[in-house]
Amino acid sequence: MSWDIRSFFIFCSLTAILILGSLTIFSVTSIDISYFLRFLLISIFSILIVTGVFYTVNLNRILSFGWVVLVLNILLILSVELFGKEINGSKRWLDFGFLSLQPSEFMKISFALFAIQYLRYFNFKFNFQRSIFLLAILFITSVPIIIQPDLGTGLIYIIFGIMLLFICGMDRKYFLALIGSGVVLSPVIYSFGFTDYQKGRIQSWFSSEGNISERWNILQSEISIGSGELFGEGFLKSKQNQFNFLPEADTDFIFSIYAEQFGFVGVLLIFILIAIFIILSIIVLLQEQSLSEDLSTYYLGAYFIFVIGFSFLINILMVSGMIPVVGLPLPFFTKGGSSLLCFSIMLGFIFSSRGFLRS
Amino acid sequence: MLSARFFSLQIIDGRVLKDQREKNINTFEYIYPKRGRIISSDNKVLVEDEKIFSVVINLEQKPSLESIKLLASIFYDQLELDEIEQTVKKSISSGNQEVVLDKLSQEDLSKFLVRNSELNGFSILETYRRVYDPHPSIFHVLGHLGYINDSDKRYFSERIDEYDPKLWQKVGKSGLERVYEKELTGTHGKRYFQRNARGTKKILTKEDEFIEGDDLYVSINYEAQKFAYDILDGRQGAIVVIDLNDFSIPVAVSAPSISANDLSGISSSRYAELLKDQSRPLFNRAFMGLYPPGSTIKPLLSIYSLDQKFTNWEETIFDDGFFRIDEQRVFNAWKEGGHGITDLDKALVESSNPFFMNLATRFEKQSLESFFSSASFGTKLCTDCYPHQFSPLINDAWKQKNFGRNLFKGDLINLGIGQGYLQITPLHLSLISAMVAKKGEYKTPFLSDSSSQENFTLSQNLESSDWERINKSLVDVIYSPSGTAYRVNAGELKMAGKSGTSQVVDIKSREEYESIRENPLLRDHAVFIGYAPYDEPRFAISVVIENGEGGGSVAGPVAREVLEVLLK
Repeated sequence: MSWDIRSFFIFCSLTAILILGSLTIFSVTSIDISYFLRFLLISIFSILIVTGVFYTVNLNRILSFGWVVLVLNILLILSVELFGKEINGSKRWLDFGFLSLQPSEFMKISFALFAIQYLRYFNFKFNFQRSIFLLAILFITSVPIIIQPDLGTGLIYIIFGIMLLFICGMDRKYFLALIGSGVVLSPVIYSFGFTDYQKGRIQSWFSSEGNISERWNILQSEISIGSGELFGEGFLKSKQNQFNFLPEADTDFIFSIYAEQFGFVGVLLIFILIAIFIILSIIVLLQEQSLSEDLSTYYLGAYFIFVIGFSFLINILMVSGMIPVVGLPLPFFTKGGSSLLCFSIMLGFIFSSRGFLRS
Repeated sequence: MLSARFFSLQIIDGRVLKDQREKNINTFEYIYPKRGRIISSDNKVLVEDEKIFSVVINLEQKPSLESIKLLASIFYDQLELDEIEQTVKKSISSGNQEVVLDKLSQEDLSKFLVRNSELNGFSILETYRRVYDPHPSIFHVLGHLGYINDSDKRYFSERIDEYDPKLWQKVGKSGLERVYEKELTGTHGKRYFQRNARGTKKILTKEDEFIEGDDLYVSINYEAQKFAYDILDGRQGAIVVIDLNDFSIPVAVSAPSISANDLSGISSSRYAELLKDQSRPLFNRAFMGLYPPGSTIKPLLSIYSLDQKFTNWEETIFDDGFFRIDEQRVFNAWKEGGHGITDLDKALVESSNPFFMNLATRFEKQSLESFFSSASFGTKLCTDCYPHQFSPLINDAWKQKNFGRNLFKGDLINLGIGQGYLQITPLHLSLISAMVAKKGEYKTPFLSDSSSQENFTLSQNLESSDWERINKSLVDVIYSPSGTAYRVNAGELKMAGKSGTSQVVDIKSREEYESIRENPLLRDHAVFIGYAPYDEPRFAISVVIENGEGGGSVAGPVAREVLEVLLK
């Protein structure tokens, strides 16, 4: 098996992202080095294991269990209601001792597996019934997430689901119709679906005065980023984190801490690494499309690349104050087992597509 | 687009945002130095800062339930469990270091320190409390401290160069505490530290040493001051003594008064009560009270008349007890039948009103005004008495301002016997006494700092013999059996002086006075000025006893006793 130059760059950029992410997590928690190692090892292992599993087991076998995965995932979400622990007023986590999982995170994967299983049966040919069926499943399965209550994750799940269907070739008119109804329904969702906490977040973004506590997170995030200036304060020297000025520094706002430590140069480095990873992965996948009869892995890979790229984009837009605060984790940075495992599994799927394995 | 956003945040606004971050993290607190003591000329500490210990909540290490229970059990007689819990909650939510127990006794302090290691989350805070000598005589001179307000900020920003209102929490509200605020305060230290967002973690980065406040030495003679207050024995009035050596003020008493300690931590209702009190215990009569001087103005007017050659020691008039400007306007003098043939000496010794009224008909507004100016009317009298009032300079402008008219001849005649518009503070009265004693050469009086003292000369035209004769007349006031203050009974003291009574209400006849006398508040004020020893004067004094009636018989003996204490 010879390494093609593109795979080499993908591998390098991904490794760099993983190391930078683990270092940042370590710098935020900065209690002991084991945190850094554990984080790095978990990501590397899960990527290797998932890739290895998919390499040895025929992907078709896995895909034929897509509906089982989806059902199991929903059952897990419901079980959170019974056994879960509560953080910030919403029950989303299942505690396994060494790590706590948020089953709703995995729905992005489970739905994709189910949809691909369904669509490949019809050779990825959409018609009205199939489109409606898949959209209906998507919306129905989002209900358990939303009632947790976790509207943010729920909405993002829906958006990703729709994007998956679009990637797989669903007619553009459904897409437009959904956007249209989304716009029409948004005031309704805003007034009935959002909690005061969520409304506050949105209002704080739209009004420059706002009340100070609502704007606090964004303000502190901008201060963190700006304090990095060109070259950053240096590793482990984030004062915003040290003095707890930035809330959620280890989760949603971790990129701000990264920017404070490594400066504009570090930020550009991450942008370049992500760009290399995404662009080259897409190139490799397109090659796959031309090689293979079965488009399942191509669609799955493209979808997961989209999820990873979009998560990066949204999180970074959020921390830099360009969009309202939404609870979307930064891939490979955010502290949290579910998101790490989730993104590792996605990488596993991407790498297990034959375009990569061939090289 | 994203890169542009980060470029704008990190490169363009980076410096600003970084400064913002540093401002959030780095903070400091002031270290309040020990305030200086105030020490009297007889080496009595009138006020000093006393260290007090309080139990406070330590925010870096929140109190556990066990330590709260333990604290409640140690101080079971002073603290309730819920009370402590409330304070802890308040402290944590506000981020302020709340006080659980104030002013620990030595015994309580050791009780705490023995169990210190178990009392997690509580610590001992050392602060200072201002403790005054409890005698009420010193309150008005020393003043008191209070929390700074806007008018204080204006006052101090005009007077203290590197004044920073954040630094001064409690400031001198009156008296020497206010005048010498800067010297007494010392220099605040600064403790710089980095803190986290909730203020629960603090890392000390730098400390600027504080400098304790300077001790202030004042001219007040504590023993004499106390004596002077006590001898007033509940009467309202003021006594001021000037040391003729340097024009410092060894006695400045205003009665009634309160103990300065009573004002710290006073309830607002009690304070309002004090303000409303008819006897005005918070009002410093010695520096602020304006009283008609009555006959005590006569020595000064004699000097003026001699200076302007309006009279001489030979001129006599016949005093029949009345003074007539014309047929319609006839003034009653105080002595029935009058003093008979009266010259200036007799007019001073026996206090003849008709003589001085007659003299006053020759007064000229202009020369009178400049003479009174040279006697410090209408100007600040003392370098460091606060607050203090100047005695108004009576001239046309003053009367125009207050009554819309120029001075009449009658006004000058009233002025000639120290009534009418003329009003003088006890401080100024003692200074007038000092002018007479020092033959017209005098200086600005002071309590502590003589550096801005000025020299004044009352008159250029008086011969030394004139001064001697005035002096002799004032000695006779006390030692001659016909003198108005013969009852002072000064004996060995070698005292000179002049008594006076100042009318509270304007009356025309003795009969009328007898009828208003029923109301003690309408009785005349007893006024006395004097100095001793008359051959080599060392102290000048003024005594005002409100509604005391007899200048010679009531105020005079008080002056004698105070001077006796000082000359002992």
